[in-house]
This record gives sequence, C-alpha cells and structure tokens, in this order.
Amino acid sequence: MKPIVCLLASCVLCSAAFAADYQVEKGSTLGFSSTFQGEKFSGNFARFEARIRYDAANIEASKFDVSIDLASASTGDKDRDDTLPGSEFFNIAKFPNARFVTRQFKRNGEQVIAEGTLTLKGIDKPVDLQVTFVPKEGGATLDVSTVLKRLDFDVGSGEYADTSTIGNEVEVKAHLELGAKP
Amino acid sequence: MPMKSSDTRWGSVIQWLHWLMALGILGNGVLGLVMVDMSRGMDKLNTYAIHKSIGLTVLALLILRVCWRMLDRAPRDEPMPRWQSLAAHATHGVLYLFMLALPLSGWIYNSANGNPLQWFKQFNLPALLDKNEDLAEIASEAHEILFWILIVVLIAHVGGALVHHWLERDNTLLRMLPFARLRARKTGENP
Repeated sequence: MKPIVCLLASCVLCSAAFAADYQVEKGSTLGFSSTFQGEKFSGNFARFEARIRYDAANIEASKFDVSIDLASASTGDKDRDDTLPGSEFFNIAKFPNARFVTRQFKRNGEQVIAEGTLTLKGIDKPVDLQVTFVPKEGGATLDVSTVLKRLDFDVGSGEYADTSTIGNEVEVKAHLELGAKP
Repeated sequence: MPMKSSDTRWGSVIQWLHWLMALGILGNGVLGLVMVDMSRGMDKLNTYAIHKSIGLTVLALLILRVCWRMLDRAPRDEPMPRWQSLAAHATHGVLYLFMLALPLSGWIYNSANGNPLQWFKQFNLPALLDKNEDLAEIASEAHEILFWILIVVLIAHVGGALVHHWLERDNTLLRMLPFARLRARKTGENP
C-alpha cells in the first residue's frame, strides 16, 4: 500500500511541476473590436490581471483566471470612451470588473480550446477561447481569441441595442507575454 | 416635359436636380444646426449619420448635375440689365463652388475626426485622410463658416429669383419650375 501512495504523491507533484504558473509581463495586451456604422473600431483594456497555469502536455491541468478593469477601456474616440463606463454599456459603477475563469481545456484537432465562464455586467455566460501557447526562453507567449455577442451581456442596452448601428459581435483578443513565476 | 433644356426653359432633369438639391441643402442645414446641440445618445448618432448621408447625396447629385450641364444647353437669359445677368451668373458659380466645398469639408472633418462614413446604412465610404485632431477642428470650423456664407449666397439667389418673378414678372423662376406655364414675353421683346 505504501509504495502506491508514494507513486500517487509523486504523480501529483509531477503534474503540478509541469503545469507551470506564469505571470503576465510587459508587452501583454487585451483588446476588442466591433463595428460602428459599418466600420470596424478597436479598443483595449489597459488594466487586467491574469493568473495563468498551463501545461501543454496535459491541458486539463491548465487554468486561466482573468480579471479585467472595465474602466481602463479605451477606443481612441472621446465620445465613445465617455459612453462605455455608463449604465447602458459596462455600468462600471455597479460592475467595475469583468472576469473570465476556465472550466476545462479541450483539443479540437490541433487547436486548444479553453472553455470558461465570462462574467460581465453581472451576467455569466459560457465563452470558449482559441488558445495558442508558444513556449519560449524563460516563459511563453499566449494568444487567445474569441467572438462574443455584446447583447448576451447587455452591453449597449436600451437604445444602443440597435445592431444595425453598433455590431453585436465583438472580437476579443489577448496577447500575453508570460514569464515563469519565481 | 422635355428632359433637355430649351431656349426658354430648363429641362426636367435640371429642374428636378435643382429642387431636390435645394431640399437636401436646406434640410441638411437645419439638421446640422439641430444635431450639434443634441444630447449624447443613439438619436444624435443617427442624426449625424443622416446628415452625412444627405450631404453625400447632394454631392452625388452635384456631380450628376455638372455632367448633365456639360451635355445640355442652358436657356437664354431672361431680358434684364447686364449687371443683373452678371450678378446672377456669378451667384450661380459661387453656389456650385459651395455645393462642392460643403460636403467635402464635412467629409474631411469626418475623416480627420476618425468617424465612420456610411450612406443610409447601405455602404461605407473611405476616409479622405488620416485621423488628425488639429485638422478636424479646422475642418469643423470651415464646414460651419462655409454653411453660413452659403446661406448668404442663397438669400441673394432666392431674392433675385423672387424679384424677377414678382417685380419684373419674367420667367426666371417659372422656367425652373416643373409643371409651370411660362408667361408670355412682354411685347417688343420677342424676336
């Protein structure tokens, strides 16, 4: 019985060692894009925190937990940026942060998919991320992307719900420079 | 009603272009003055979009009109003193210039401000230049100043037409009106 316990214990240690925790470093970006009056616009969140655990060999052991400061959104247009924090859009007075937490990781052919839950404006909805993880010296780069529907999260409610003016689909993309956690 | 102009009256194409553009220009002027004071929201965004769409339409009609004018003749001037005829033609020249400059200055402003340009939600038109806040401010000022000068020129244009219609009692206005019957020329003036 004892050797089995030892084996199990070492296995747990092994997998914990391989599923490395990373910290987000300079050069990381979290952006989004949608359309307004038929033209694409893009913006980004200057402030977000991401706890990233990733194991390419055993993706089930991976975990993303990302918290986004919605007040840090900017799109390069003053009127729009002044409108985004309001109650029709992010409503940051009530919901200052959005959060994405993975439930499980899967493979679809070569593509790794991170299935998780996005909580935005108090609404939980499943969101799947396309994951591209490239190890590098002392860390990795992680690119994720997804397309979500803003109205699923009540972003741009009331008069702004008109999708013929403001597109419903929002592409979200992040590029993370990851360093091994000391 | 003939499409082409004759010696005495404008053809239907020019008549309709004239009144359609008059409606567009005046309507867009009102819209422009109203929209800038609207409170932020979807109504304001949509009103700007309609203003831009109408402006683009007037620009397209202007191009059409200039092309048509090159193919068609203009009616002979109504009998009037030479200075009046010169003033009328000068006013027309300035009006054409402003009908071009107004939408173009708006388009430049829109581009420099980094805004989309969509025609009645149907298709988008490209920016004329890159985003540039300083230029946007100048173009916005120019757009408004040009509008007020246009209004002054239009008052001269409309005033002249009405003076000829009511006081001179000639066909200056009637020959631009669809369905209107021309007045008989004063005796002695008919060739």
